[in-house]
Amino acid sequence: MLYLPGDGVLHRLHPLTKLAGALLVAVAVTLYPRPPLLLGVMALLLTMALAAGIARRLLVIALGLLLPLIISLFVIQGVLFPPPGAVPFATFGPIRLTYEGLFFAALIAGRLIAIALAILLVLLSTHPADLVAALTGAGLPHSVGYVVLVALQIAPDMAARVGAILDAQQSRGLAVGRGIARLRALPALVGPLLVGALGDVEERAMAIEARAFLASGPKTSLRVLHDSAVQRGLRWLMLALVLALIVLRVAGMRGVL
Amino acid sequence: METTRVRPRGISSITLALIPLAMAINIAVGQFATGTPIYLDSIGTVLVGALLGPWAGLLTGVLSNVVWTVLFGSPYAIWFAYVAGAIGLIAGFAGRAGLFRRESPRWLSAFVGAAFMFALTLFVLMFIGRTFDENSNAVFPTMGALFNENVIIFVLALLAGGVAGYAVLRRAGYIGLIGLLTGVLAAVLSAPMAAYQFGGVTGAGTDLLVAAFRASGASIVQSVFAQGVVSDPFDKLTSFMLVWLVIQSLPRRLLSRFPYGGANDSAEAALGEPLSSR
Repeated sequence: MLYLPGDGVLHRLHPLTKLAGALLVAVAVTLYPRPPLLLGVMALLLTMALAAGIARRLLVIALGLLLPLIISLFVIQGVLFPPPGAVPFATFGPIRLTYEGLFFAALIAGRLIAIALAILLVLLSTHPADLVAALTGAGLPHSVGYVVLVALQIAPDMAARVGAILDAQQSRGLAVGRGIARLRALPALVGPLLVGALGDVEERAMAIEARAFLASGPKTSLRVLHDSAVQRGLRWLMLALVLALIVLRVAGMRGVL
Repeated sequence: METTRVRPRGISSITLALIPLAMAINIAVGQFATGTPIYLDSIGTVLVGALLGPWAGLLTGVLSNVVWTVLFGSPYAIWFAYVAGAIGLIAGFAGRAGLFRRESPRWLSAFVGAAFMFALTLFVLMFIGRTFDENSNAVFPTMGALFNENVIIFVLALLAGGVAGYAVLRRAGYIGLIGLLTGVLAAVLSAPMAAYQFGGVTGAGTDLLVAAFRASGASIVQSVFAQGVVSDPFDKLTSFMLVWLVIQSLPRRLLSRFPYGGANDSAEAALGEPLSSR
């Protein structure tokens, strides 16, 4: 889990407000990948992270996730195979640098960074349970929220179970290699993993029924989320902006504007 | 005293219990497979499709990718949630049709393997061998010319596919075919997103394949699509086959708890007997 506890403004915002903000960022930079917008959004998000005291963690995670992709992007699409018609401005042996190729790679990289920062900012400042509670409050079915929360909770257990099964099979002589050789260990891992999970199903199903999870009627939640009229207005404004951006973009592509 | 009313229709407790387990399996096995050329992030989704049907499969696929992003902050997973959903949907239709419980004759598996390898070779050679006319429209080589020039490659592909089908797929011919076709569909669905949003790269080993197709003069979206067609079918084939293997070896008592586990179709078989011992 990525969540870092805190009590700044960002942490206290209603989860839906943060989600609407991230959606607005994702839609805006996807539809209008222009350098000023990308740089502005990145600066704004980093300022918010600094104010919330999660900037370091944010940058470490974002770099770890995006660095391999960005390197690959610059090497393959930026340098080796630039867009057709690009004219090189510098040549180092077989490597020819073109303005168009590097600009294309920088644009895609900038857009990915902006979106990743927005998503990570939400995840670092919001407890997943609050996120799900806010979404079910806004009309997401309770069963979907339950499924997501349980999956988040048992994912580490399942990873531990994978480790235990591999240990057990290795003690019986299974070789777990690296790279493609890993795939040979797959049936010995997946068999026990799936059978074990299917064995757990009945117990879990009885627990769900014992708690009357499927009973109809209103449900109460342990989590209390703070909302305000200002935030509600802000959310509607951001959603309207998202819609407006999409309509403008479609109209622009059709040549209406 | 008022008793709680349970909804007669809608989601069952078995469904609610299995889906999160399957999502965790997707993530755990997907993590195990990082560093291999295939993703293997849909084994749980295929399992849910096989046992609970298309809609549960769709939900499992979509939510798995969402949870993957929430857990690790991954910039990819959430963007490809619709592809994962489609995989679950197809696995669900295959499960509803009973294909996960059906064995095929081995010659059929050999035929499926040979036909697929042949089609894949044809696709790759067509892709690499195409030329461009003066309006930069792609001109594909004729089948006859391709066959004449690459007879040995085609024969080798047919042989390799047939042998792989016979020796590896064995009795999983039906579900293997579905897995391979699902992989092609996944390649079609994911190429536009991968090309537009990610510039066609992922930072993993498959980028070398994208670079190779780019070197043949293809655009980004074409290269990503070709890369997907070459690698996705084997990923989905592995997932579908592993789930098929597990379902074959499960006792009927366990399987009969699930809507598509085959509770009704052969009541004469002993309950503790695995499916494959028929």
